[in-house]
Amino acid sequence: MKQIQMTQNSSFSLISTNKIIQMSDVWTSYDSKNFALEGINLSIDRGTNYAIVGKSGSGKSTLLKLMNGMMVPSKGTIKIDYVTPNMNNKKFKKMMHTIGYIPQSLGLVKNITVLENIMIGALPRLSTIQSLLKRFPEHEVLEAKRIISLVGLSGKEERKAYMLSGGEKRRVAIARALMQKPNILLADEIVSELDHVTAHEIMNLIADAQKRMNLTAIMVHHDMHLALEFANRVAVIKDGRKILEIGVEGDNIVDFQTGDLNTEEIMEMYADDSKK
Amino acid sequence: MTPKNNIIIGIIVALVIVASYNVDANPIEFAEGLPNLAIVVEEMLSVEPKYVPTALWAMFETIQMAFIGTVVGTAIALPLSMFAARNLNSKYVYAPVRALLAAIRTLPSILWAILFVIMVGLGTFAGVLAIVMYTIGFVAKLQYEAIEAIDSDPVDAVSSIGVSKLQLIRYVVIPESASHLLSQILYMFDYNVRQTSILGLVGAGGIGFYIINYIKFFEYGKAAVFMLVVLATVLIIDWVSVKIRDKYIVKSQHGMEVRAK
Ligand SMILES: Nc1ncnc2c1ncn2[C@@H]1O[C@H](COP(=O)(O)OP(=O)(O)O)[C@@H](O)[C@H]1O
Ligand SMILES: [Mg+2]
Repeated sequence: MKQIQMTQNSSFSLISTNKIIQMSDVWTSYDSKNFALEGINLSIDRGTNYAIVGKSGSGKSTLLKLMNGMMVPSKGTIKIDYVTPNMNNKKFKKMMHTIGYIPQSLGLVKNITVLENIMIGALPRLSTIQSLLKRFPEHEVLEAKRIISLVGLSGKEERKAYMLSGGEKRRVAIARALMQKPNILLADEIVSELDHVTAHEIMNLIADAQKRMNLTAIMVHHDMHLALEFANRVAVIKDGRKILEIGVEGDNIVDFQTGDLNTEEIMEMYADDSKK
Repeated sequence: MTPKNNIIIGIIVALVIVASYNVDANPIEFAEGLPNLAIVVEEMLSVEPKYVPTALWAMFETIQMAFIGTVVGTAIALPLSMFAARNLNSKYVYAPVRALLAAIRTLPSILWAILFVIMVGLGTFAGVLAIVMYTIGFVAKLQYEAIEAIDSDPVDAVSSIGVSKLQLIRYVVIPESASHLLSQILYMFDYNVRQTSILGLVGAGGIGFYIINYIKFFEYGKAAVFMLVVLATVLIIDWVSVKIRDKYIVKSQHGMEVRAK
């Protein structure tokens, strides 16, 4: 069990030129009545393995959709590499291929093969003719093969996606995201439904890729244990608000917010989540 | 059975009776006409066997017309359906395309055939064009509905990678809606064979041309033989498409169930 140590706003500096994601006072709503997110402030350093934890309906998926431009905030500003994420923003459109996004449902194309699903990640680099005729350049095929073996799917390249197990589908979705050569990886509860062993395999895989490619990984989790084990930062979301942000340094956990929570409350949440 | 239901059934029965009176649909005449059927069967049995190859050839011609019409119509319908799907286009694109398709669908194939007979003259070509138009109207509608019904998750996930519209269509839209497509084409071909069989009535070629001429000259036996050939052909095509559907479609429709709570 990790030791939880509360500090008052200490070892945390807002002055940094290395922020890849910045959100300030972000509010958003699906129905213009209830806010799914209320006044979110986030600031994520390049290369961080960042986790977002919270109960069902707390607003975690919404937060990721804001980061990849699928949703826009009703109030507040978001910057991804100093660009405002929005599908209609030309500048952002050009950098969309650098953001790997794995939705909760994975979003695989079920009637095409594993290889083709993974190749989708390379489409922004291919010409129209190459992609329409599925004439993939040699080096892209090699890259796909490399990633396929990295995620442990060798031999299953020609399988249709609907024939795969839950764990294998997640590996395909991760491979598709890695095929994009992303700077940022957004993953929404992709291990929540897996058994403990498979979940750890997949998390190790991502942690590995994250370190090797200097990715900034932002992963949504249901389970606090998993977040603490793999992330170096954990934000806790409750009812659309960020109620806690902690840093994990070795076995120490440090609160980075002004901290109106005490140890018992964190443990309570911890227990709450691990019950699920 | 509630009193309200009884009233509704009563009204419907009354409407059928009134409408039958208006259109001269008399069940007694139907009963009186039944013995005439026996005469047709008798005449049919006395038809010389040499007409059978003619009937088969006419049927073969009809099938070819339906085949060309289905293939060409589908080839035109597919790109149109991409523009008509609401989940892929803005209103300014899909609304006019849908209106055009709706306009095409208002005419039954026999009216298209009359139009094309006037345009290109009597014969099979007019019939083929009629089938092409009919197929465009229907396949495009079935297909844009299939496209609108595809799972939005892969569409969203792949869009967020920043791919082009054409790439999205090639890698997500077509594969996810293709299983419906084969079944629709089979259905359309089956239906087009039946339709083409009657286009001859307005001079647009096919086996119907023979049937209408025999009827004009009171050669009911020969007409009946040709109609039997149509019946047998339609049954065979029906049976074959069921087989194809079982083999290729039922198998490929297992969905992918990965949805978190
Ligand atoms: N498409 C949607 N339409 C309307 N409300 C939504 C939609 N998606 C999510 N919500 C609402 O927004 C809130 C946050 O949802 P979400 O971000 O999906 O939570 P989480 O991912 O933490 O489970 C919830 O109250 C949910 O009901
Ligand atoms: Mg969610």
